[in-house]
Amino acid sequence: MKTIVHVKLLLKITQEYVNAHFTFVFSLLFSLLFLAYSYNFSSQSWRPIILLFFFVYIITTVYVGFLTLRIKSDLAKFGDIQKTTRLFGFPLLLTIASGNIFSVSFAFMLVSKTKTAEYTFAAYAFITQLFIIGISALNLFKSYVTDTFLVAMGLFLILAIFYLALLVLCTKFVTAKDAPKWMIVPGILLVIATFTGNLFATLLGFSLIQKARKTNPSAIEKWQKMWQKILRNTMAVFGLFFIVFIFSLSVTSSWTFDYDFATKNNYGALLQTPSLEHPLGTDNYGRDLFSRIVFGAQISLIVGFFSTIIPALVGGALGAFSGYYGKATDNIIMRSLDILYAIPGILLAIAIIAAFGANTINLIIALSVGAIPTYARTMRANVMQLSNYEFVESARALGASDAAIIFKHIVPNSLAPMIVKATLTIGGAVISTSSLSFLGLGIEPHIPEWGNILKVGSTYLETHSYVAIFPGLCIMLLVLSFNFLGDGLRDALDPKTN
Amino acid sequence: MVILKNRSTTKEHVFFFTVYQKLMHLRPYMLLLFLLSILVHPFTYFLYRKRKNSHVYKQRFEQQCQHYKENGSYTKWKCAFVEQEQAKARFFGEQLSEQQLQTSATSLAEAKLQRIVEKDLANEGLYKQSYLQFFGQQLKKQSFIAITFVPAILFYVLLLLFANPFLQYVIERILQSFIVIIGVATLVFTILYLSPFDPARNLLGVEATPAQVANFNRIYGLDQPYLSQLWHALSGLFTFDLGTSFAGKEDITHSIANKFPITLEIALLSLLMAIAIAIPVGIISAVRPNSYLDYTFMFIALIGLSIPSFWQGLLFILTFALKLQWFPATYNPQNRLSLLMPVIVLGTSITASIARMTRSSMLEVIHEDYIITAKAKGLNEYKVITKHAIRNAMIPIITVIGLLFGGMLGGASVTEKVFNISGIGSYIVDKQFIPDIPAILGGVVYIAITISIVNLLIDILYAYFDPRIRSKMKKS
Repeated sequence: MKTIVHVKLLLKITQEYVNAHFTFVFSLLFSLLFLAYSYNFSSQSWRPIILLFFFVYIITTVYVGFLTLRIKSDLAKFGDIQKTTRLFGFPLLLTIASGNIFSVSFAFMLVSKTKTAEYTFAAYAFITQLFIIGISALNLFKSYVTDTFLVAMGLFLILAIFYLALLVLCTKFVTAKDAPKWMIVPGILLVIATFTGNLFATLLGFSLIQKARKTNPSAIEKWQKMWQKILRNTMAVFGLFFIVFIFSLSVTSSWTFDYDFATKNNYGALLQTPSLEHPLGTDNYGRDLFSRIVFGAQISLIVGFFSTIIPALVGGALGAFSGYYGKATDNIIMRSLDILYAIPGILLAIAIIAAFGANTINLIIALSVGAIPTYARTMRANVMQLSNYEFVESARALGASDAAIIFKHIVPNSLAPMIVKATLTIGGAVISTSSLSFLGLGIEPHIPEWGNILKVGSTYLETHSYVAIFPGLCIMLLVLSFNFLGDGLRDALDPKTN
Repeated sequence: MVILKNRSTTKEHVFFFTVYQKLMHLRPYMLLLFLLSILVHPFTYFLYRKRKNSHVYKQRFEQQCQHYKENGSYTKWKCAFVEQEQAKARFFGEQLSEQQLQTSATSLAEAKLQRIVEKDLANEGLYKQSYLQFFGQQLKKQSFIAITFVPAILFYVLLLLFANPFLQYVIERILQSFIVIIGVATLVFTILYLSPFDPARNLLGVEATPAQVANFNRIYGLDQPYLSQLWHALSGLFTFDLGTSFAGKEDITHSIANKFPITLEIALLSLLMAIAIAIPVGIISAVRPNSYLDYTFMFIALIGLSIPSFWQGLLFILTFALKLQWFPATYNPQNRLSLLMPVIVLGTSITASIARMTRSSMLEVIHEDYIITAKAKGLNEYKVITKHAIRNAMIPIITVIGLLFGGMLGGASVTEKVFNISGIGSYIVDKQFIPDIPAILGGVVYIAITISIVNLLIDILYAYFDPRIRSKMKKS
């Protein structure tokens, strides 16, 4: 009896097993989706490419199922995953070619016994880079590519190899507590690689430099602990991966994608169904939908980011003053914010845009104003709690000014709930942006933005439904990713609120 | 000065006095009460002056001071203060002259004397009375109330109303909502007033002569100063007379009244659907946390939260209306079935939010001590959950539902556009291109008022049902 309980517990806390289970379920789901889509009911025929995908995914699923059983028996027999089982993970790495992110990340997890945060960062930096290369390579089927295409692709390949090399180095030299001194050099290179938008590289570079310099062990430990908690949450990691991927794609798209495909009318190719030249088809002006969606990511991320950061700063400052000074200040600030809070965000945005016109800046302002009260409330609650702590008292006794106390002592300690809140509301901002664009109240219609594409798609719903389906799918995935990441961050940073 | 009698003859006496005392702690009420009883004040003030001249308090005060000075306590305190001041000067390395030392010690000693004497007199039942306190004391007298009841009727009505803490809470909450609504109307009007667009130009076209534009502005009062326009808009909102819209010349209140029911109907049906689905789902998830069922439910809930409603609407139209032809694609008042898709689309995100909220709230409650106690006493799980956990977990959920309802009414405009429903949301969107200031103002403010009323009702019900809030109100 005792051993059974022991094994059950072991299964629960062994990350590989949990992850294997998860990968199995998701691979199975995707295979079933492909199977359902592979048969065209209206024309009674099979879609060969989709069918091929189905076979690849179902084989992956079976293989993962086999690995799951093996891990389980290993844990039951030896209480640990054997080396041979880990070796079985290597063939699974090849599934990256099929775009199965679940199985690839599981494979990376399985093959290495030591899993520092750096190892995971390097693995995801590598996967992200390969995905970027894959997506950009689809441009090869177009009639022409941009001048910078070859250079950029070469750079991406070099970066991918660099990340792979670091992945191996991380398993060999980096431990949970420190890294060799020479790791500073790749660390700096990684931070420079941020300009491609691959934030996993930034994270990896930052933690390598931090570990190699060995200046502040407690900071390293804190950083490691936080990331271990976040990385343990599989969905949060996938959310982070998708966000970084979209971000990196929107940064690099200007080098590998031609903006003209997304905006110039091409009357020779109106409303074409998906093909290799136009992977997602074209719209009613013959504009390539794939390029439009890729460029649309830029707008969504920019608007989402600014309409989150502006109210977070303004609302945070108001909430901090309100919570710190209390009494009349608190009353005046919070009662005036109650007025803003009483109007639903999207209605206030509509009113502001009605008054000042529809363009990107106005949209950001309109979405920001409505979100101020929620941030102010979160910040105020934190500050009220914190301002009773001893460290605030001692800062006051040492003669620190009010501003110094608020911004040096209280605000840094109440950032965690704000970050969680911000992550969870970026998704909402992305949805609001596209909703307003869909109503004709957001981004100018000629700019490729997901809501604008959907607006066009809605008029061709009956005949060319793909125009409406793909951008919506992108919005949903991006918002879902932010929500997953937000949930993960909340569990990691702020366990009380869950 | 008055000698307090702790025993009062009848209950009625103390009633007005205690309520008065309670309200006098709050500054706004102090002012309000004073204003309402303004007719009585000349009379009572005269009484007060007359009483004050009787000097009993002053005499007794002097006497007590003399007593302390004579028995040597005063000199003792003074010496102690001198020592204290010297020690202070030594510590900070300051030089104090003898005279400075004496003055500060004397003032400190005087202050202490005053404090102690006041305390002594209070023990004897003697108070130095301000006018307002004197006025309060008068309320204990039946004869005083009888005489002043007619001139200060509003004053007594207020006291009667505020005698009950629950009633006081309700009145305060209503007042608060009213102020918020006025604030909302002012804010929305100001935003529209600041608009750089010119409705006259947009409607009359570029070729309109300046005279035509001026005429248009005069008809709709757009040439008046900000404050008069604001007053006009506010009074229009509360008298349900917003005039006619710029375009089409239709009566705005009338069109809003026509369009509001359908929006409200869809919103309420969505809310009902959300509650019916989300609460059981949340409870099941919380009772079996981290099970397959829980993961599946929460995953679906997160998808529901992440799906843009207009896209969901398009997908629904594509599958259920165009491909399967089960439901009509657009709303049609004659066909009740056409309401189904808009209701589901509008309710999806709120269902997801409530399910997630229910789960976390239930999980929190399930780990409380009283649940463990109930289990330890041998109650079966079903009873523990239904009788003890759910009732307590519902409290935060109801508030969240109120807040989400607001968001839902706001988001209705998108759903209405997708399904071509002529509700209030699509009305606002249609009017914003001109911009038709009174129409947008009316639409937004009436929605905000509805939301405020819903939240007000929820808060009041809350205060009524939650024993914790009730006891808190009574204590304060």
